[in-house]
Amino acid sequence: MRNYIAVVFDDTTKAYEGLHALWQLDDEAAITVHGTTVVHRNDWGEYNVDSKDTHPALATAVGVGVGALLGALAGPAGAAIGAARGAAIGAASGGAVGAVADVARADTRDESRYETAWVLGAGQSAVIADVSEDSTFAVDERMRRLGGSVYRRAYGDVRDDKWFDDYPYDYYLYPYEYVPPYSPWWAY
Amino acid sequence: MPETQVKDAVDHVRAAAQELHKAISDAAAKRGGAAKADLEAVPMKAKAAIDSIKGSMATQNAAAKKHLSEAVAFLEATQKHAADGVKTTGKEFQTAVRQTIADARAAVQQVSEAVAAKRTAPATAGARK
Repeated sequence: MRNYIAVVFDDTTKAYEGLHALWQLDDEAAITVHGTTVVHRNDWGEYNVDSKDTHPALATAVGVGVGALLGALAGPAGAAIGAARGAAIGAASGGAVGAVADVARADTRDESRYETAWVLGAGQSAVIADVSEDSTFAVDERMRRLGGSVYRRAYGDVRDDKWFDDYPYDYYLYPYEYVPPYSPWWAY
Repeated sequence: MPETQVKDAVDHVRAAAQELHKAISDAAAKRGGAAKADLEAVPMKAKAAIDSIKGSMATQNAAAKKHLSEAVAFLEATQKHAADGVKTTGKEFQTAVRQTIADARAAVQQVSEAVAAKRTAPATAGARK
Protein backbone atom coordinates (compact mmCIF):
# COMPACT_ATOMS: atom_id res chain seq x y z
CA MET A 1 0.00 0.00 0.00
CA ARG A 2 1.12 3.51 -0.70
CA ASN A 3 0.84 6.17 2.00
CA TYR A 4 1.82 9.68 2.82
CA ILE A 5 3.28 9.73 6.31
CA ALA A 6 4.21 12.43 8.80
CA VAL A 7 6.63 11.49 11.58
CA VAL A 8 6.73 14.07 14.37
CA PHE A 9 9.85 14.50 16.53
CA ASP A 10 10.57 16.75 19.49
CA ASP A 11 13.72 18.22 17.97
CA THR A 12 15.39 18.85 14.65
CA THR A 13 18.31 16.46 15.07
CA LYS A 14 15.95 13.58 15.82
CA ALA A 15 13.97 14.46 12.70
CA TYR A 16 17.08 14.07 10.55
CA GLU A 17 17.78 10.75 12.27
CA GLY A 18 14.23 9.76 11.33
CA LEU A 19 14.78 10.89 7.74
CA HIS A 20 17.97 8.84 7.57
CA ALA A 21 16.23 5.81 9.10
CA LEU A 22 13.47 5.99 6.46
CA TRP A 23 16.01 5.88 3.64
CA GLN A 24 17.82 3.07 5.44
CA LEU A 25 14.58 1.09 5.48
CA ASP A 26 14.38 1.71 1.74
CA ASP A 27 17.95 0.53 1.32
CA GLU A 28 17.02 -2.66 3.18
CA ALA A 29 14.04 -3.05 0.80
CA ALA A 30 11.67 -3.05 3.80
CA ILE A 31 9.78 -0.14 2.20
CA THR A 32 10.14 2.02 -0.91
CA VAL A 33 10.51 5.73 -0.31
CA HIS A 34 9.31 7.91 -3.21
CA GLY A 35 10.11 11.28 -1.63
CA THR A 36 10.76 13.09 1.63
CA THR A 37 11.04 16.52 3.14
CA VAL A 38 11.52 17.90 6.65
CA VAL A 39 9.33 20.62 8.15
CA HIS A 40 10.29 22.56 11.29
CA ARG A 41 8.28 24.74 13.62
CA ASN A 42 10.33 27.15 15.67
CA ASP A 43 9.69 28.35 19.21
CA TRP A 44 7.71 31.30 17.84
CA GLY A 45 5.36 28.99 15.94
CA GLU A 46 6.73 29.75 12.44
CA TYR A 47 7.07 26.89 9.95
CA ASN A 48 10.08 26.28 7.70
CA VAL A 49 10.57 23.65 5.03
CA ASP A 50 13.99 22.32 3.99
CA SER A 51 14.54 23.47 0.42
CA LYS A 52 17.45 23.90 -1.97
CA ASP A 53 15.62 26.68 -3.75
CA THR A 54 17.41 29.98 -3.29
CA HIS A 55 15.03 32.08 -5.38
CA PRO A 56 12.39 33.63 -3.07
CA ALA A 57 9.51 32.91 -5.46
CA LEU A 58 10.48 29.26 -5.81
CA ALA A 59 11.04 28.85 -2.07
CA THR A 60 7.59 30.35 -1.56
CA ALA A 61 6.12 27.87 -4.03
CA VAL A 62 7.65 25.03 -2.01
CA GLY A 63 6.20 26.55 1.17
CA VAL A 64 2.74 26.74 -0.36
CA GLY A 65 2.93 23.22 -1.78
CA VAL A 66 4.17 21.62 1.43
CA GLY A 67 1.59 23.66 3.37
CA ALA A 68 -1.13 22.15 1.22
CA LEU A 69 0.33 18.67 1.73
CA LEU A 70 0.39 19.14 5.51
CA GLY A 71 -3.24 20.14 5.31
CA ALA A 72 -4.03 17.16 3.10
CA LEU A 73 -2.50 14.85 5.68
CA ALA A 74 -4.94 16.24 8.18
CA GLY A 75 -7.87 15.54 5.82
CA PRO A 76 -9.61 17.34 2.94
CA ALA A 77 -10.69 20.28 5.07
CA GLY A 78 -7.09 20.82 6.04
CA ALA A 79 -5.89 21.09 2.45
CA ALA A 80 -7.81 24.30 1.87
CA ILE A 81 -6.52 25.77 5.09
CA GLY A 82 -3.00 24.58 4.38
CA ALA A 83 -2.86 26.10 0.94
CA ALA A 84 -4.28 29.40 2.12
CA ARG A 85 -2.00 29.68 5.14
CA GLY A 86 1.00 28.48 3.17
CA ALA A 87 0.39 31.15 0.55
CA ALA A 88 -0.06 33.89 3.10
CA ILE A 89 3.00 33.11 5.18
CA GLY A 90 5.17 31.72 2.41
CA ALA A 91 4.78 34.89 0.37
CA ALA A 92 6.08 36.94 3.25
CA SER A 93 9.02 34.88 4.36
CA GLY A 94 9.74 32.27 1.71
CA GLY A 95 9.71 28.55 2.32
CA ALA A 96 7.35 28.79 5.26
CA VAL A 97 3.98 27.21 5.79
CA GLY A 98 1.06 28.08 7.97
CA ALA A 99 -0.26 26.58 11.14
CA VAL A 100 -2.32 24.15 9.14
CA ALA A 101 -2.35 21.13 11.38
CA ASP A 102 -3.46 23.06 14.45
CA VAL A 103 -6.35 24.60 12.60
CA ALA A 104 -7.37 21.35 10.94
CA ARG A 105 -7.33 19.55 14.24
CA ALA A 106 -9.79 22.04 15.65
CA ASP A 107 -12.39 20.49 13.35
CA THR A 108 -13.18 17.43 15.44
CA ARG A 109 -15.66 15.99 12.94
CA ASP A 110 -12.94 15.69 10.30
CA GLU A 111 -10.45 14.49 12.88
CA SER A 112 -12.58 11.47 13.66
CA ARG A 113 -12.96 10.52 10.00
CA TYR A 114 -9.29 10.27 9.11
CA GLU A 115 -6.47 8.10 10.24
CA THR A 116 -4.22 11.14 10.34
CA ALA A 117 -4.84 14.19 12.49
CA TRP A 118 -1.79 15.70 14.02
CA VAL A 119 -0.25 18.80 15.47
CA LEU A 120 3.28 20.05 15.00
CA GLY A 121 4.01 21.88 18.22
CA ALA A 122 6.43 24.77 18.70
CA GLY A 123 10.02 23.48 18.58
CA GLN A 124 9.02 20.22 16.89
CA SER A 125 10.00 18.90 13.46
CA ALA A 126 8.31 16.41 11.15
CA VAL A 127 9.52 14.18 8.36
CA ILE A 128 6.95 14.07 5.56
CA ALA A 129 7.25 11.13 3.17
CA ASP A 130 5.56 9.30 0.34
CA VAL A 131 6.18 5.58 0.85
CA SER A 132 5.12 2.16 -0.42
CA GLU A 133 4.95 -0.33 2.45
CA ASP A 134 3.59 -3.88 2.66
CA SER A 135 2.92 -3.38 6.37
CA THR A 136 3.11 -0.38 8.68
CA PHE A 137 5.28 -2.28 11.18
CA ALA A 138 8.74 -1.48 9.80
CA VAL A 139 8.24 2.29 9.80
CA ASP A 140 6.27 2.38 13.06
CA GLU A 141 8.81 0.31 14.95
CA ARG A 142 11.91 2.14 13.64
CA MET A 143 10.38 5.57 14.29
CA ARG A 144 9.13 4.57 17.73
CA ARG A 145 12.68 3.63 18.71
CA LEU A 146 13.78 7.11 17.65
CA GLY A 147 11.02 8.78 19.64
CA GLY A 148 8.88 9.72 16.62
CA SER A 149 5.09 9.52 16.28
CA VAL A 150 3.85 8.28 12.90
CA TYR A 151 0.69 9.54 11.18
CA ARG A 152 -0.57 8.19 7.85
CA ARG A 153 -3.02 8.91 5.11
CA ALA A 154 -3.50 6.69 2.08
CA TYR A 155 -1.95 8.09 -1.10
CA GLY A 156 -5.16 7.30 -2.98
CA ASP A 157 -7.25 9.33 -0.53
CA VAL A 158 -4.96 12.34 -0.88
CA ARG A 159 -5.10 12.01 -4.68
CA ASP A 160 -8.90 12.08 -4.48
CA ASP A 161 -8.85 15.45 -2.70
CA LYS A 162 -9.92 18.22 -5.01
CA TRP A 163 -6.73 20.12 -4.12
CA PHE A 164 -4.44 17.46 -5.51
CA ASP A 165 -4.51 18.84 -9.05
CA ASP A 166 -3.46 22.28 -7.84
CA TYR A 167 -0.54 21.02 -5.78
CA PRO A 168 1.59 18.25 -7.27
CA TYR A 169 2.85 17.15 -3.88
CA ASP A 170 5.41 14.73 -5.32
CA TYR A 171 7.25 17.68 -6.81
CA TYR A 172 7.91 19.20 -3.38
CA LEU A 173 9.44 16.04 -1.90
CA TYR A 174 13.07 15.19 -2.56
CA PRO A 175 13.46 11.78 -4.21
CA TYR A 176 16.60 11.10 -2.15
CA GLU A 177 17.89 11.90 1.33
CA TYR A 178 18.32 15.67 1.32
CA VAL A 179 19.77 17.31 4.41
CA PRO A 180 20.46 21.04 4.07
CA PRO A 181 24.04 22.22 4.68
CA TYR A 182 23.02 24.32 7.72
CA SER A 183 21.41 21.36 9.46
CA PRO A 184 22.56 20.39 12.99
CA TRP A 185 22.69 16.81 11.64
CA TRP A 186 26.13 17.59 10.17
CA ALA A 187 27.50 18.25 13.66
CA TYR A 188 27.22 14.52 14.41
CA MET B 1 16.13 -6.92 10.45
CA PRO B 2 15.26 -7.87 6.86
CA GLU B 3 17.72 -9.84 4.81
CA THR B 4 20.13 -7.71 2.86
CA GLN B 5 19.03 -7.90 -0.76
CA VAL B 6 21.39 -7.87 -3.67
CA LYS B 7 20.72 -4.70 -5.60
CA ASP B 8 19.67 -5.37 -9.14
CA ALA B 9 19.71 -3.27 -12.30
CA VAL B 10 16.57 -1.29 -11.38
CA ASP B 11 18.09 -0.22 -8.05
CA HIS B 12 21.14 1.04 -9.93
CA VAL B 13 18.94 2.83 -12.46
CA ARG B 14 17.09 4.47 -9.58
CA ALA B 15 20.36 5.64 -8.02
CA ALA B 16 21.39 7.13 -11.38
CA ALA B 17 18.05 8.93 -11.77
CA GLN B 18 18.25 10.26 -8.19
CA GLU B 19 21.77 11.51 -8.90
CA LEU B 20 20.53 13.23 -12.05
CA HIS B 21 17.76 15.03 -10.14
CA LYS B 22 20.27 16.02 -7.45
CA ALA B 23 22.67 17.43 -10.05
CA ILE B 24 19.93 19.48 -11.75
CA SER B 25 18.49 20.84 -8.49
CA ASP B 26 22.01 21.72 -7.30
CA ALA B 27 22.59 23.52 -10.62
CA ALA B 28 19.31 25.40 -10.24
CA ALA B 29 20.44 26.75 -6.88
CA LYS B 30 23.53 28.30 -8.52
CA ARG B 31 23.68 31.58 -10.36
CA GLY B 32 24.21 32.41 -14.05
CA GLY B 33 27.18 30.79 -15.75
CA ALA B 34 27.76 28.17 -13.07
CA ALA B 35 24.20 26.90 -13.44
CA LYS B 36 24.53 26.77 -17.23
CA ALA B 37 27.80 24.87 -17.09
CA ASP B 38 26.21 22.26 -14.84
CA LEU B 39 23.12 22.01 -17.06
CA GLU B 40 25.30 21.29 -20.09
CA ALA B 41 26.22 17.93 -18.59
CA VAL B 42 22.59 16.90 -18.06
CA PRO B 43 21.67 15.58 -21.56
CA MET B 44 24.60 13.15 -21.48
CA LYS B 45 23.71 11.95 -17.96
CA ALA B 46 20.05 11.55 -18.96
CA LYS B 47 21.07 9.52 -22.00
CA ALA B 48 23.20 7.23 -19.81
CA ALA B 49 20.19 6.70 -17.52
CA ILE B 50 17.94 5.95 -20.51
CA ASP B 51 20.41 3.38 -21.87
CA SER B 52 20.65 1.83 -18.43
CA ILE B 53 16.85 1.53 -18.12
CA LYS B 54 16.51 0.03 -21.58
CA GLY B 55 19.15 -2.53 -20.69
CA SER B 56 17.37 -3.57 -17.51
CA MET B 57 13.76 -3.75 -18.74
CA ALA B 58 13.73 -7.26 -20.17
CA THR B 59 14.06 -8.98 -16.79
CA GLN B 60 11.36 -6.94 -15.00
CA ASN B 61 7.71 -7.78 -14.32
CA ALA B 62 4.93 -6.10 -16.33
CA ALA B 63 4.15 -3.41 -13.74
CA ALA B 64 7.79 -2.45 -13.38
CA LYS B 65 8.24 -2.40 -17.17
CA LYS B 66 5.35 0.04 -17.54
CA HIS B 67 6.87 2.44 -15.03
CA LEU B 68 10.30 2.13 -16.61
CA SER B 69 8.89 2.94 -20.06
CA GLU B 70 7.33 6.08 -18.62
CA ALA B 71 10.61 6.94 -16.92
CA VAL B 72 12.34 6.78 -20.31
CA ALA B 73 9.81 9.26 -21.74
CA PHE B 74 10.43 11.68 -18.86
CA LEU B 75 14.20 11.29 -19.20
CA GLU B 76 13.94 12.09 -22.91
CA ALA B 77 12.04 15.24 -21.95
CA THR B 78 14.75 16.01 -19.38
CA GLN B 79 17.36 15.67 -22.12
CA LYS B 80 15.45 17.97 -24.45
CA HIS B 81 14.67 20.69 -21.91
CA ALA B 82 18.25 20.75 -20.64
CA ALA B 83 19.65 20.95 -24.19
CA ASP B 84 17.19 23.74 -25.05
CA GLY B 85 17.88 25.51 -21.77
CA VAL B 86 21.61 25.97 -22.31
CA LYS B 87 20.84 27.95 -25.47
CA THR B 88 18.74 30.48 -23.55
CA THR B 89 19.30 33.18 -20.96
CA GLY B 90 17.41 35.02 -18.21
CA LYS B 91 13.80 34.10 -17.59
CA GLU B 92 13.73 31.53 -20.40
CA PHE B 93 16.72 29.79 -18.88
CA GLN B 94 15.06 29.69 -15.46
CA THR B 95 11.90 28.25 -17.00
CA ALA B 96 13.90 25.57 -18.82
CA VAL B 97 15.70 24.65 -15.58
CA ARG B 98 12.41 24.31 -13.68
CA GLN B 99 11.00 22.18 -16.49
CA THR B 100 14.13 20.02 -16.50
CA ILE B 101 13.84 19.47 -12.74
CA ALA B 102 10.16 18.59 -13.07
CA ASP B 103 10.92 16.05 -15.81
CA ALA B 104 13.78 14.52 -13.82
CA ARG B 105 11.56 14.36 -10.72
CA ALA B 106 8.86 12.58 -12.68
CA ALA B 107 11.44 10.15 -14.08
CA VAL B 108 12.74 9.28 -10.58
CA GLN B 109 9.14 8.86 -9.43
CA GLN B 110 8.49 6.31 -12.18
CA VAL B 111 11.69 4.38 -11.46
CA SER B 112 10.89 4.41 -7.76
CA GLU B 113 7.42 3.02 -8.53
CA ALA B 114 9.09 0.32 -10.63
CA VAL B 115 11.25 -0.55 -7.61
CA ALA B 116 8.13 -0.75 -5.41
CA ALA B 117 6.41 -2.98 -8.00
CA LYS B 118 9.45 -5.24 -8.11
CA ARG B 119 9.62 -5.48 -4.30
CA THR B 120 5.91 -6.16 -3.92
CA ALA B 121 5.77 -8.90 -6.56
CA PRO B 122 7.68 -11.62 -4.62
CA ALA B 123 5.69 -10.88 -1.43
CA THR B 124 2.41 -11.18 -3.33
CA ALA B 125 3.54 -14.39 -5.01
CA GLY B 126 4.53 -15.80 -1.63
CA ALA B 127 1.14 -14.96 -0.13
CA ARG B 128 -0.65 -16.96 -2.83
CA LYS B 129 1.17 -20.20 -1.97
